[in-house]
Amino acid sequence: MAHTVASFDEDLRQISQLIRDMGDLAGSMVGASTKALLNSDNAMAQRVVSDDAIMDARQRELDDRAITLIAKRQPMADDLRSVVGAIRMAGDLERIGDLAKNIAKRVGSVGVSAAPRDLSHSIDAMAQLVLIQVQGVIEEYTAGDAAALAKLRNDDERIDVKYTSVFRELLTYMMEDPRNITACTHLLFCAKNLERIGDHVTNIAENAYYVLTGTQLPANRPKQDETAMSAPAA
Amino acid sequence: MKPMLSTDLNVAATTVEKVKIEVKNLNFYYGQSKALKDINLSLPERSVTAFIGPSGCGKSTLLRVMNRIYELYPKQSAEGQVLLDGKNILDRSQDLNLLRTKIGMVFQKPTPFPMSIYENIAFGVRLYEKLSKAEMDSRVEQALKRAALWNEVKDKLNASGLSLSGGQQQRLCIARTVAVKPEVILLDEPASALDPLSTAKIEELIDELQADYTIVIVTHNMQQAARVSRQTAFMYLGELVEFDRTEKIFTSPREKRTQDYITGRFG
Repeated sequence: MAHTVASFDEDLRQISQLIRDMGDLAGSMVGASTKALLNSDNAMAQRVVSDDAIMDARQRELDDRAITLIAKRQPMADDLRSVVGAIRMAGDLERIGDLAKNIAKRVGSVGVSAAPRDLSHSIDAMAQLVLIQVQGVIEEYTAGDAAALAKLRNDDERIDVKYTSVFRELLTYMMEDPRNITACTHLLFCAKNLERIGDHVTNIAENAYYVLTGTQLPANRPKQDETAMSAPAA
Repeated sequence: MKPMLSTDLNVAATTVEKVKIEVKNLNFYYGQSKALKDINLSLPERSVTAFIGPSGCGKSTLLRVMNRIYELYPKQSAEGQVLLDGKNILDRSQDLNLLRTKIGMVFQKPTPFPMSIYENIAFGVRLYEKLSKAEMDSRVEQALKRAALWNEVKDKLNASGLSLSGGQQQRLCIARTVAVKPEVILLDEPASALDPLSTAKIEELIDELQADYTIVIVTHNMQQAARVSRQTAFMYLGELVEFDRTEKIFTSPREKRTQDYITGRFG
C-alpha cells in the first residue's frame, strides 16, 4: 500500500534504487577484479580501482538520503527497518568494493607467468561462488524472498570451504618452489579478500532478512575453521 | 476482523507485574452507534500505556470509560467490565467521586480553574481531605514539584492560573491531578496543543510519574507514543487491533493494519 504522502514513497524508492545500483556495481567489480587477476589484465584492474570511487560516492549519497529521510519522515516499522537496513547494507557493499579494488591492485604484482595454471582454476572457482552470492543477495532482497536470503546466508559455507582448499594449495606451491612465494602471497590475499566478500554478503543477507521479516536470523550458522592446517580436507 | 486474544497480548505485561486495570468484553454506545467493540486488555501497574489510532477509532472513548466521565452526557452507555484492582468500576454501586480521586484525568486543552495557582491545586484536595494550612501548603508545593512547575511559579502562587503559558497551564493541571493522590492518571492528548519544549517537559514528567502511577495516554503523535510508553494499543473502528510492547509495535508489528497506520499508509 502506498503512503498517504506520496513523496515519502519516492524517497524510499530512491534509497532502494541506490542499494540495487551499489549491488550491481559490487557484482561487476568482483567479477572484473578476478578476471583481471586471472588474465593479468592491467587495464581492467585499473577500471575496478576507479569504480571504487563511484561506489564510495553512491554510499555517501545513500547515507545522506537515509539520514534526511529519518529526519523528515520519522519512519516506523517496515519503513524504519528498510532505511536502517539500507545504511548497513550500503556499508557492506562499500567494503565489498574496497576488497575488489584490493584484488585489482595486486594484478600487477602477481605477474604474468608466476601464477600456476591449476591455481588459477581454484581461484576462478572460488570467485564464481562469491559472484553468485553477491549478485544473488541483492536480487533476493529486491524480490522480497526471505527464505532465499536465509539459504544464501548458509551458502557462504561453500566459499569458506573453497578458501580452505585454496589456502592449502598455495602453501603447497610455496613449499615446492620458493620463487612462487611473492605471487602466491598476493594470491593468498586475493583469496582472503574473496572470502571476506562472502562474509559481507552474509551480513547483507542477515540485514535484508531482518528488513523483510522484522526478526533476526539465529546468531550462529554452521561454520568450520577455515585455515586450520590439522583439519581434514573438506 | 478478529482481535487478538488478550491472553496472548498481555504476556509481557502480566508475567512480571501486577495488573492495575483490566478491561473485559467492553462495549460502548453513543446512542445506537457502537463505538467500542468487545475490548479486552490489561494495563500493568506503574507503567505507561499508549492508545493510538486514527480519529474516531475509540481510543478517547476507552479512556473516558475508565473514569466514567462519559456519564456526564446523556445516551452514552458502557457494557462489560473495567476492573480496577479487581473491582468493577462500571458497577452501579461504585462511588463516582471516590473513583475520580483514584483515577485522575488531564485533557487536551489545559483547563485551569479561574482562580489562583495555589487554589487550583488546593480546591480539589479540600473536597476529600481536611488539611491544616501548613499541610495544604506542603501538599501544593509537593504537587507543583511533582509536575516540574514549582520553580517557575513559587513566587507567584497567588497569580491566576490563567496567567500561565499553555505548557505551564497543562503542568498545573497535572499538578492538580497528582495533588489528590490518584492511582491512575489518564492523559488525553496532553501535549498536542503545546510547543516542543513544553511537550518535552510533559514527556519528562510522564517518565518520572510512572514510578508511582499507572498512566494511560491517548496521543495522535506516534513518536510521542513510542517515546513515552511501555506498551501500546492500536485501535481502529472501535476495535483493539493490536496490543504489545511499544518497541514491538513500532519496529515490527504483527498486524498489517497496525503497520499501515504507523507508517502513514492508511487509505
